[in-house]
Amino acid sequence: MTGKIKRMIDIIIEKRSNGNEVLKNTTRTKLIIKGYNPDRWTLQSEDDPAKIAELKQIARDMGIEL
Amino acid sequence: MSVTTASTTASSIEQAVDDIREQCNGISPKMVLFFASSRYDPVLISRAMHDAFSEAQVLGCSTAGEIISGRVMKDSIVAMAFDERTIEGIACSLVSDVTSPDSLADAVRELEDEIGTPLDELDFQQYVGIILIDGLSGSEERVMDRLGDLTDVTFIGGSAGDDLKFQSTHVYLDGKAYTNAAVLALLKPVGEFDIIKTQSFKPLEITLVPTKVNEDRREVMEFNDMPAPLAYARALGVSVEEAPKRFMHNPVGLVTGDDFFVRSPRQIEGDSILFYCMVKEGMELALLESTDIVADTRRAVDEKVRQLGGASALINFHCILRALELEEKGQDGAYGSLFTDIPTIGFSTYGEEYIGHINQTSTMLIFK
Repeated sequence: MTGKIKRMIDIIIEKRSNGNEVLKNTTRTKLIIKGYNPDRWTLQSEDDPAKIAELKQIARDMGIEL
Repeated sequence: MSVTTASTTASSIEQAVDDIREQCNGISPKMVLFFASSRYDPVLISRAMHDAFSEAQVLGCSTAGEIISGRVMKDSIVAMAFDERTIEGIACSLVSDVTSPDSLADAVRELEDEIGTPLDELDFQQYVGIILIDGLSGSEERVMDRLGDLTDVTFIGGSAGDDLKFQSTHVYLDGKAYTNAAVLALLKPVGEFDIIKTQSFKPLEITLVPTKVNEDRREVMEFNDMPAPLAYARALGVSVEEAPKRFMHNPVGLVTGDDFFVRSPRQIEGDSILFYCMVKEGMELALLESTDIVADTRRAVDEKVRQLGGASALINFHCILRALELEEKGQDGAYGSLFTDIPTIGFSTYGEEYIGHINQTSTMLIFK
């Protein structure tokens, strides 16, 4: 399966920024610093279970329900 | 807006604080922010500044050099006093142990209790945070990461210094001095404010990917599946022995769209490179090359002042590595003069904070 990580990243950015462009950029930067560059993941990226678990934790830490 | 800046090089704490107090006589401060050379005893200077401004919230930290409007200083104290025409509200708390997530959670709860609103509900356009953190704790990344999870409010600041002794750095709050700690200040400015983040590098067309790291030690063992020193040296076309001479001018940067967050190599240890900042496995890091700090900073400050339509105060968290480079080039006077027309204080830091922990950068908080 592919694409789950990209979709999770997109949801985190959307929910955290609530449509605000400044917050969208800030959230992207926060994710890049955490090791998840949104531009490096696509819908063709493999669903790596370890990465998915890590992203779920990042979402929880950021107060976001995936 | 009403802000007063003050500075002193008096050697006795009593005289120095009298000097600062006298220069601030025209203002009833709500908040006093001060940066003091490590030559001033931490416990005594924190208590003396608190006693001198007992009506205000007083916070600060030790430094590796200071900045006041128009000048770069050493062995001094610089201070900025803000009255209620500048700062509508302020809440401060202490992270008493920066290595402990619980301690950070306690400090955040304290801020929330003081302002009566959860941090995650605060409007990032109305509030801004300042963080002053022990510069030898190695904990900045974790603290900034967690703060960024908890709030959209920008926390900007610096890692305290100790004049390059690398023995002990201090943060100051409510008349006390702390190590292994961080001071959080949440401000509600009256007018507009903004952030400047400026670093003087351009990316080269070379990418280094850490493939083996020890995050806790800020250590990269391998870049691109090669021993890190060898990969770094090859990227620059120099020998491993010559590589450390290039660290200051050729750090690496985590690219974030059209910006980057600098990570500076500190030293080679065996087959590893130790950094001043944590890097994660798999991050794509651009090799950088230094440009002109004075020209780049002038451009960044001028542009922001133009956007804001003026500036009434500026706080500059200025990397010690930038300060050393400016000193080496005899440009510290030119750098200081960039801030002649703006009431400014700042200090040479052991790291800069903005969204994350950064190196070889200036992060600045600017008020309209």
